[in-house]
Amino acid sequence: MAEKNLRATHAPAQKTSLAGKIFLGVVAAYLLVPFLATLVYSLFVEWTDILPSGFTLRNYQELFTNTVFWASIGRTLVLCLVSVAITIVLILLAMYVVVAVNRKVAPVMQFLCMIPYALQGVILSIGIISLYTGTGTILSNRMFMLFGAYTILVLPYIYQGIRNALNSIDAGMLIQAAEMLGCGRFRAYVQVVLPNILSGILVSSLLAESIIFGDFVLANNIAGTNYQNIQVFLQANMDVSSGLSSAVVVVIFVVVALVTALVLKLQGAAQNNAKEQA
Amino acid sequence: MENTVTIGEKDAGARGATAASGSGTGTRAQGRAGSRRRLGWVAIVPFFAIVALFEIMPLLQLALNSVIGRDSETLGLENYVRVFTTPLYQQSIWNSVWISLLSAVVGIVVAFLAARFAHEASPRVRNAFTMILNMMSNFSGVPLAFAFMILMGNAGVLTLIGQRFGIPLLANFDLYGADGLVIMYIYFQIPLATLLLIPAFAGIRKSWREAATILQASAFDYWFRIVIPNLMPSILGTLSVLFSNALAAYATAYALVMNNYALLALQITSRFKGDVQTDAATGGALAVVLIALMVVCTLVNNYFTRRAAKGRELV
Amino acid sequence: MAYIEFRDVVKRFGDNTVLDHINFGIQQGDLVTLLGPSGCGKSTLLRCLSGLESVSEGQIVLDGRDVTNVPASKRNIGMVFQQYSLFPNMTVEQNVAFGLKMKKVPKDQIEKKVADAIEMVELKGKERAYPANLSGGQQQRAALARSIVTEPSVLLLDEPLSAIDAKLRKALQSRIREIHKELGLTTIFVTHDQDEAMVMSDVIQLFHSGRIEQAGSPVEVYTSPVSEFAASFIGSYNQLSAGEFSRLTGVAVPAGNVVAVRPETIGISLERPEAAEGAYVVRGTVIDSTPRGNVLRYTVNVGETTLRVDVLFRSFHMFDDLDTVWLTLPEHDCLCIPAESAA
Repeated sequence: MAEKNLRATHAPAQKTSLAGKIFLGVVAAYLLVPFLATLVYSLFVEWTDILPSGFTLRNYQELFTNTVFWASIGRTLVLCLVSVAITIVLILLAMYVVVAVNRKVAPVMQFLCMIPYALQGVILSIGIISLYTGTGTILSNRMFMLFGAYTILVLPYIYQGIRNALNSIDAGMLIQAAEMLGCGRFRAYVQVVLPNILSGILVSSLLAESIIFGDFVLANNIAGTNYQNIQVFLQANMDVSSGLSSAVVVVIFVVVALVTALVLKLQGAAQNNAKEQA
Repeated sequence: MENTVTIGEKDAGARGATAASGSGTGTRAQGRAGSRRRLGWVAIVPFFAIVALFEIMPLLQLALNSVIGRDSETLGLENYVRVFTTPLYQQSIWNSVWISLLSAVVGIVVAFLAARFAHEASPRVRNAFTMILNMMSNFSGVPLAFAFMILMGNAGVLTLIGQRFGIPLLANFDLYGADGLVIMYIYFQIPLATLLLIPAFAGIRKSWREAATILQASAFDYWFRIVIPNLMPSILGTLSVLFSNALAAYATAYALVMNNYALLALQITSRFKGDVQTDAATGGALAVVLIALMVVCTLVNNYFTRRAAKGRELV
Repeated sequence: MAYIEFRDVVKRFGDNTVLDHINFGIQQGDLVTLLGPSGCGKSTLLRCLSGLESVSEGQIVLDGRDVTNVPASKRNIGMVFQQYSLFPNMTVEQNVAFGLKMKKVPKDQIEKKVADAIEMVELKGKERAYPANLSGGQQQRAALARSIVTEPSVLLLDEPLSAIDAKLRKALQSRIREIHKELGLTTIFVTHDQDEAMVMSDVIQLFHSGRIEQAGSPVEVYTSPVSEFAASFIGSYNQLSAGEFSRLTGVAVPAGNVVAVRPETIGISLERPEAAEGAYVVRGTVIDSTPRGNVLRYTVNVGETTLRVDVLFRSFHMFDDLDTVWLTLPEHDCLCIPAESAA
């Protein structure tokens, strides 16, 4: 084992082959170009020739003074935070049953939580509007439908995050240990298990936030212009002002990129921790 | 249910007894643990309630819509017959299938090579590339459509370049149709597919290459007899995810062509949010067709994955 | 001239010299063990011979041919790796046949050869099994079959048994030894386990920090270690500093040397032995005894020095802790060897 490590550390620093560099470069370029073009577009007055002309921050000035934009950002944030919070609470409660009451519900939960992953937005949204629109109940309220839909949309991500976190700390054993010391099961779950899976919950909920932030289908189909989120705002402005829209695209991308970077950083830190403990 | 609860209680009783042994309160502890156990089930109720309200019942509603005839208002396959005989719907199903399949296959080929090179690259290059993949995997839907319009739309930069330098491929590129959809679908498939395949490459052991070299295998033999067969389960699984992903994609296409293209996801939605009148019956049938396509894709994938994995560990 | 010759082989990884001017030859048909602790360079040398690693300096000659710059696939070598080298998508049969297929051996011959090889490693009945369904030992048997079926000119085994549990390892050791005899195949075996090296080898090359510390038959290496390192790595020699030894026996030892005595050469008795001709006799106190298989190991304090003494496990003659005993150290078994620091 030690010898293997030695070989690994003393092996000549792995070099990337030329073919590899070229291929990865081309793929990276293909992925980056559309965004970079939008970024450039948002920073110039005109781009009707091969090179853009007239550097300006006017698009951003306009955007950041646009109250409709801020309202849609606000709504998006409300949707993100509330829906994710609801889902976290639902899953945590349900996982208590899996961990402390009966393991046999685990496959059922897994199945129910993974359905939305396959369905995605279209089916989910039209199913919900088809079921509840015009029923006159509280559920025919668009806001209720939208929150319900987002709660379901992020189920797979929150579920997997929490399940993996619970598995990695062997929650069942922790609860039994706490029980031996005279602590009730639910109390043990809340006071012993939860603090240990906070970082896992954090990572998966950030991921879920970025998914809701990027959602157009549910917002457009269920709420539409009644409750415009940022994506619907973008879509509505696309044909009106491309300058403004390009700035919106950049803002959306930057926000999601920051959240993603944070997720990657947290995951990296968690992995390093695990390695150190191993 | 009843049965599982009993088993649970016995289990708890045994534990309760151990915990309380010596203090003489064994039986009481047992009883309390049992009732607390039953109380514990309450915790899962909200989850089931929300899942029933917003996941299961809407799905059932769609299924119900699909089997109650729009015109006859009776139970039957009327809506399905209409879906499979109306040219617009036939075209939608066909377009959705081939665009999804094409984008999935191109995506997996590019992703395979990218994952391979990323796997072999220095950690610095690999980390940078994975970072780009993670970032750009979020770039989809409306923003993606907008970006492509800037690039390849009627007055797009690449279109201009094409016109100026006489590159018909760019100058005459029709973004607002199948070509545009394919190129954008491929765009969002690549990061997803690559991120799914890179971990699979970690299962390829260095000693396989060394053993193959010593056994005089050529690079071709190494890749096609060892690496690809070993990655096949992952490749097929990813392919299935990509296909479903494209099939269900909506925002990108909607932002580009609104409802003016025969695509399953667009047609389903416009049946429910039509400008004229909603048609839940046809929409329901179309939705069931979409779900059926995904299920078929998963089943086919499972079958081939099992064949490819023949009694060995999945890499 | 030897069948395989390493001439001044040097291997560096960056600033780190892993092989430092290795020179030795291997006779055709021998089973040679490269023995040494982790990181001593033994595996690297094997990989240089296989062609998987290039040498920084020097020459490797195989059967009269300079193979220093010949690619691995052209060296006609068989190799068994530590573990996980079987191709998981192929059955045992397909794995074994792989090398023959690559060599474009006709189909009918492949079948026969594969069957023979599988029989030779005693895997009959497992032909259609996938590696994931085999135990570690079975996997290594299959890997062995795969590497001998191509009739290589030399077989390289890179710690093939290190991941296998002790009992199966014994069985595989003797199977490898038998196959080696049957085929007369020149075999190089890398291990860090000195017992394994003793059992298997015609010749042991003992490695230490990228150099060969000692070479010889198992008996030679075992009975006459040339250095403190060799004495500590092979067997479990009692090592006494010059001062300790002269305090014990009154015999002066040249400075910079240590005296090494194998535990089983020391006699132990309650009575002072009468004929102490050609031996040193000292008195000590038993402080511990541990059964080690068929041997009982006593730990005996002689003044400030602690000696280990092995005797065959005969229950009718045991010493208790704190017994005062007499130890007999035969003179010719007290080896005077250079101390580590002096070497």
